[in-house]
Amino acid sequence: MQSAKRTPWQITIGVWQALFLREAVARISADRVAWLWLLAEPIAHVALLVWVRTLAGSLRIVAGAEFIPWLVIGVTLFIMFRNQMNRGMEAIAANRGLFAYRQVQPVDTVLARCGLEGALSTIVLSLMIFLFSLLGHNVVPHHPMVVLHIWGIVWAFGMGVALIFSVVVTSLPEAGKFIRMLMFPLYFLSGILIPVQYFPHDLQQYLLYNPMLHAVELIRTGFFETYRAVDGVSVLYLHQWVWGSVFLGLLLQLRFKQRLLAQ
Amino acid sequence: MIEVRNLYKRYHGPFGGDWVLKDVNFTIPDNVSVGLLGRNGAGKSTLLRIIGGMDSPDKGTVNRDCRVSWPIGLGGGFQGSMTGRQNVKFVARIHGGGDRIPEIISRVQDFAEIGKAFDQPVKTYSSGMRSRLAFGLSLAFDFDVYLSDEATAVGDAAFKAKATKAFKDRVGKASIVMVSHQVGMLKDLCQAGVWINNGTATWFDDINEAINSYHKSIGK
Repeated sequence: MQSAKRTPWQITIGVWQALFLREAVARISADRVAWLWLLAEPIAHVALLVWVRTLAGSLRIVAGAEFIPWLVIGVTLFIMFRNQMNRGMEAIAANRGLFAYRQVQPVDTVLARCGLEGALSTIVLSLMIFLFSLLGHNVVPHHPMVVLHIWGIVWAFGMGVALIFSVVVTSLPEAGKFIRMLMFPLYFLSGILIPVQYFPHDLQQYLLYNPMLHAVELIRTGFFETYRAVDGVSVLYLHQWVWGSVFLGLLLQLRFKQRLLAQ
Repeated sequence: MIEVRNLYKRYHGPFGGDWVLKDVNFTIPDNVSVGLLGRNGAGKSTLLRIIGGMDSPDKGTVNRDCRVSWPIGLGGGFQGSMTGRQNVKFVARIHGGGDRIPEIISRVQDFAEIGKAFDQPVKTYSSGMRSRLAFGLSLAFDFDVYLSDEATAVGDAAFKAKATKAFKDRVGKASIVMVSHQVGMLKDLCQAGVWINNGTATWFDDINEAINSYHKSIGK
């Protein structure tokens, strides 16, 4: 096969395409129920939470939104972020064999994996909206552009965080355990299960440092017309985190490229 | 042409490391095939990886004015859980195969001759089958220089003959840089040789002289 000399951009696009398809095949055919699990995990997650909350009883009221859709949106958004981070940070170690081809850079493996996770989550979200609409819940976004905006921004945030942590985890494999442990408190502090409005104001101030709380609240305002986010939620603050992490992640990938390749 | 200038390489691990290559200089002209010789651990594969652009030198430069393949060898490059066909498609996409992917696949199949195994996961392959696939895959692309890291070592006689013929057919169009301990294969395919000893490299215009020096150094 003889082809004209390709530009770096063409090569990168080719690599992304190849990695994306490869990751997709691996993800969907990892075992016999892998494709089912993609859908079943978020649904099972939501079902479990709804059940727990029913047992807990009194907290089922969220001002300005139906409880179950409110929960579904938050959980799906968070699962996308979590999957991107958990799977993205392992991408470099998992694709080590591919660095035999000099066209493949470590950063490509992380981006391809996060891109795939985001795409799968988007499909899952669409299916969830469809499914819960059929069940009679009001989950059709009231401000679709707000939803798309926040969804896209969190997708980029997941990539940024995965880019950073993939460098950390590849250089220091032990760190992976601690990073995964971090996800647990983050889940509770992002207002997914319990509305942040229930916390005392003094505490809210500190909770608002968490960018995922902003994302979760903002996407809910896009879905529900009458829902009112916690005071202090800011799109700008979220954007600062997102682009800060993407920039830092790319910078680290560039700085430590040789070290990531060598291990 | 491949130009290696003042090349230094060491591995930075938790246990430190000495220089693997110290001040290596040589130029491989167009269409000259070269054999890399040296005892185990001398740095042959390291040098090949640097020429292939997989690894970077600590000091010095490598200029590649031509299309160089990836180092074809036993390890790496294939994902075990995927079939031979899937792996071939992946590599073809990386190299900008585009709509020529079916043609590449049939070329690889013709060369590798592994039959039905082509559609089975690579982890089920024997080492000989893997090297057939790896070699066939690289030959499906028209590189100017092919890098081979013991790729023919585990092949049977038929495969070796086939590989040799493939390169002889390409004399004048492509060359090979190979790491090998098989003297016959080296003499067959290479004109020049590089002997790597104690981190330094010596260029020989004649592969036979390189083989002699290498054998003398190991007392053979």
